[in-house]
Amino acid sequence: MKRSMKLIRRRALTAIPVLLIVVVMTFLLMENASGDAVDAYLLSIGGGDAKVAATLRQQYGLDQSALARLWLYLTSLARLDLGWSVAFNRPVLSLIIERLPNTLLLMGSATAFAFGLGSALGIIAGARPGSLRDRGLSLLSLILYAIPSFWLGLVFSLVFAVQLRWLPTSGLETIASGKTGLARATDIATHLLLPVGALALIYMALYLRVMRSSMAEIWQLDFVAFAQSKGLSRHRIVWRHVARNALLPLVTMLGLQSAAMLGGSVVIESIFAIPGFGRLAQEAVTGRDAPLLMGIIVVSAVMVIAINLLVDLAYAALDPRVGASEPS
Amino acid sequence: MNLIQRLSRTPEGLVGILFLAILVIVAILAPEISPGDPLAIAAPPLLAPFTDPQFPLGTDRLGRDVLAGLVHGTRTSLTVGLAAAIAALALGVLVGLAAGFAGGLIDEVLMRVVDAFQIVPGFLLALAFVSVMGASLPVVVIAIALGAWADPARLTRAQVLSIRERDYVAAARTLGMHPVEIALRQILPNALSPVLALAAIIVAGAILTEAALSFLGLGDPNAVTWGSMIAEGRNVIRSSPWLSVLPGLALVVTVVAVYLVGEGLSKALSGERRAGEVPIGERP
Amino acid sequence: MAFAPSAGPLSRRTLLQAGSALLASTALPTLTRAQSATDAPAGGRLIVAADSEPKNLNPAIVASNGVFFIASKVIEPLAEASFDGKDGLSPRLATSWEGSADGKSVTFKLREGVKWHDGKPFTSSDVAYSALAIWKPLQNLGRLVFANLEAIDTPDDLTAIFRFSKPTPLQLIRNALPVVSSVVPRHIYEGTEIATNPANVNLVGTGPFKFTEYKPGEYYRLTKNEDYWQKGEPKLDEVIFRVLPDRAGAAAALEAEEIQLAAFSAVPLTDLDRISKEKGLKVISKGYEGLTYQLVVEINHRRKELADLKVRQAIAHAIDRKFVVDTVFLGYAAASTGPVPKNAPEFYDSNVPTYAFDTAKANALLDEAGYKKGSDGKRFKLKLRAAPYFNETKQFGDYLRQALVAIGIDAELVNADSAAHQKAVYTDHDFDLAVEPTVFRGDPAISTTILVQSGIPAGVPFSNQGGYANKDLDGIIAKASETIDTQARTELYNQFQTIVATDLPLINVAEWGFITVARDSVINVSNNPRWAVSNWADTALKS
Repeated sequence: MKRSMKLIRRRALTAIPVLLIVVVMTFLLMENASGDAVDAYLLSIGGGDAKVAATLRQQYGLDQSALARLWLYLTSLARLDLGWSVAFNRPVLSLIIERLPNTLLLMGSATAFAFGLGSALGIIAGARPGSLRDRGLSLLSLILYAIPSFWLGLVFSLVFAVQLRWLPTSGLETIASGKTGLARATDIATHLLLPVGALALIYMALYLRVMRSSMAEIWQLDFVAFAQSKGLSRHRIVWRHVARNALLPLVTMLGLQSAAMLGGSVVIESIFAIPGFGRLAQEAVTGRDAPLLMGIIVVSAVMVIAINLLVDLAYAALDPRVGASEPS
Repeated sequence: MNLIQRLSRTPEGLVGILFLAILVIVAILAPEISPGDPLAIAAPPLLAPFTDPQFPLGTDRLGRDVLAGLVHGTRTSLTVGLAAAIAALALGVLVGLAAGFAGGLIDEVLMRVVDAFQIVPGFLLALAFVSVMGASLPVVVIAIALGAWADPARLTRAQVLSIRERDYVAAARTLGMHPVEIALRQILPNALSPVLALAAIIVAGAILTEAALSFLGLGDPNAVTWGSMIAEGRNVIRSSPWLSVLPGLALVVTVVAVYLVGEGLSKALSGERRAGEVPIGERP
Repeated sequence: MAFAPSAGPLSRRTLLQAGSALLASTALPTLTRAQSATDAPAGGRLIVAADSEPKNLNPAIVASNGVFFIASKVIEPLAEASFDGKDGLSPRLATSWEGSADGKSVTFKLREGVKWHDGKPFTSSDVAYSALAIWKPLQNLGRLVFANLEAIDTPDDLTAIFRFSKPTPLQLIRNALPVVSSVVPRHIYEGTEIATNPANVNLVGTGPFKFTEYKPGEYYRLTKNEDYWQKGEPKLDEVIFRVLPDRAGAAAALEAEEIQLAAFSAVPLTDLDRISKEKGLKVISKGYEGLTYQLVVEINHRRKELADLKVRQAIAHAIDRKFVVDTVFLGYAAASTGPVPKNAPEFYDSNVPTYAFDTAKANALLDEAGYKKGSDGKRFKLKLRAAPYFNETKQFGDYLRQALVAIGIDAELVNADSAAHQKAVYTDHDFDLAVEPTVFRGDPAISTTILVQSGIPAGVPFSNQGGYANKDLDGIIAKASETIDTQARTELYNQFQTIVATDLPLINVAEWGFITVARDSVINVSNNPRWAVSNWADTALKS
């Protein structure tokens, strides 16, 4: 427990400079953008004159120097204030709170499916390395992992929603349906099946590969040979010794992939019209809304840090040999 | 080369190299296979495949030759993939080398930067970067490299840390070799091979990222890319599915080939590193 | 769309769909009118695709189609465009309008018994406030139209007299009414920061529908205004705008019966042929006559090559308008001859120089201008920016690049997102040619003359930023803005068209309206020239 606390404290400390770098990076990116929030706004309203533009720039604080704005942002961030979205004319935090659950739901379910299915198939493949089953599954996972997610999403939506009409084409739930409780949950689940499926299948391939290769590696280890020499059944060896130990790198993957999945959900959210983080980020970029984009990236970064921390804590719990030491 | 020989001895590597070789030949010979500008409007729009021998795979919305698009798209995809991977690896190796070798405060600072790039979703970064900087091939390459250099940096640093304590490095140090010389002569060559195995993954990720960006309309309009072909084809996906299916297939085949080479590579290199430690890059 | 169908294989379909809509839009009562408002069935929920979520939904401030699409059902203008009404208008909040002889005042009589959605009565003071506090100082288009508006007298609750400092043509005010005159409640805006008033999103109006709910990223919900001044309307209980940002999403959702209507060509043109054969769906190209989009090549006259008229003529000759109409727009457009579209017959003048597709002539013109082809077959290089707002503008950009190659001009396409494109063209002038979708809004003075007029500061979107200056043209534009006599004013605009078509400050390529796809159950669709952005009070659902 004490070790965990130490780990948490140290992670939190290193997280601060990292987040600072992330913020400054994003800020610089938006600073170098062609066109600012006012250009984007004037475009969206179909015109305006130079005077309006100047007034708006003043209102948005864009007339101040870049350094002053960065300082303002950082000081308010230090007070955990994510600032004001100029494009939406709302606090960034409220926008993020609105969209975060959707993205978490999408990513969480996709990760759960990918992890569950991937490790199960990985065990099947890794139970007999080199067997036909193993090779088949390996090839399948390789091809799946090579498919662009947007392509898979398109095909899914075309086949299951438009042609077969089994599932809704897009959205998070039936709009303005007034459904509550279980009915609503079912509704959301049917809407999420396709986007989650598209994301999960691709990442499933990844977990499958990692599982089978780490199993293949463990088969070589002494303690497996020892277990075999003891005459334990293959079934027992696969489950008790090989798969169990091979699961550890998979847990690490879970953390490492969280950032990738957040990025990958952008396209899926756009195809399936899910109002999540990815779409919000796209809108922030289109609207040249620096505070919003910084907010989104900071929150994603914090999330990724938190997930990795959780994974490491879980790892430490699963494998007591692992100390709280870590590669920096 | 020794590595390629070893690589082609693994079944994955052999198949991968074969596929990739074909793709590379297609890319190099693109102007010979389908001469002229692949974006030229050459025929009536939406010609179905196998109806006109002059345009074996038909034409798209504006009457551009699909085969020419696929062939020249190979060029774009492979170029972007390779360029992004080289940029990412160069930056990553350089930073990793510096961090691992210098240690101390420099190491600390550099690794925090690496952390920062690692926790920001790579595709989000690429998307923002390209939107903001304007979509042209160099910008796309930089955007992808920005999201991919952190892994090789970390790996290089870890390699350096383990190698720098080895005898021959210590020997070089006592011989009074300049630290930069030690880094480049002694450490780099030994640290490089596992990082190389990462290359294939980065190339594959880069090809997919480029396609996804093009799909979202953030591609270079002066070059044919498979992603933009898919994006254009999807509007007619019901009536002319081949327009999005063909570039999609090309994309999958290419990425599979690159993965296979990567797989073979990591097997071939497994003498020097633990097998099974599959490096996983980010992909959209 | 109200265009004469183009020739070619695609025209038959267009012909069937558009009919002789060009005629219909201007003179004849239309077939859709046959279903009279009173016997249309009442009730039901109409779900419509929306591709964007405007950040400011107040049509009094933001007079753009994206805003009107949603807000026009809640907040009404003084008058709406009409196929068969007098002056092409049908009264809404105003029942009549009359200009004074000196052109310095316009008197509006207002509708009686109109209530705001919060129950307060609508009066002339709301009109006066909207005009003076919002339309004139804040609105993107009102700023031009009401530039000389000085004061508004409100002798009684139902009369508003607009007073102008300079003669202002009634023709212009009339033509602009549907676009610039959205009235908002004074009691909600007065004394507040108008730009950030929450009512800019949670709209309060007098329209047939009330603004009920907005779930960002998902939908807008409008519900029936039981107290609407037109008895028996609206027919629908609810209108829901479902946010579908992905271009291909609308077609799929229509087919899956998740939505019943998609306007503004939310279904890509390329998919219409197939969709029109689907059972239960209809493709309608009418109802956009009042908001014609124009495909324009804007030219940066600062480039010495482009400052040469011969080069501009050569480019005009290099563009195959028939290809653009047939292939880029699949027949759902018409070739342009000048800055005023054909379906604005009040102003349109066909008697202008035209530029037939003639590569040989274009090449000859360029040779004459002294830009010979180099050994690589190229004369010079240009930077070409195509506005990213529409599929068609981007595709035309791809086409234009090829068309220019054919005459030895090496054009490099620059792909930028909307904000970057906007800044590059209208502020930084970092372009040689730009493909833009400009809008003709019923009168050249609203948003058309600004495209060629000189002396506009950098940073004004959709204006002349190509550095073109022509004193004669500026003179005509200035004179027309103060000419009261409709006949004389129209003649000035004929001259305007001739000069633009001759001197080519920009090149008008094509003009297009949008396409609506609806389920057969939706009736009274596209029955006015701005239907998609009108109030939909008579739109109904057959059960």
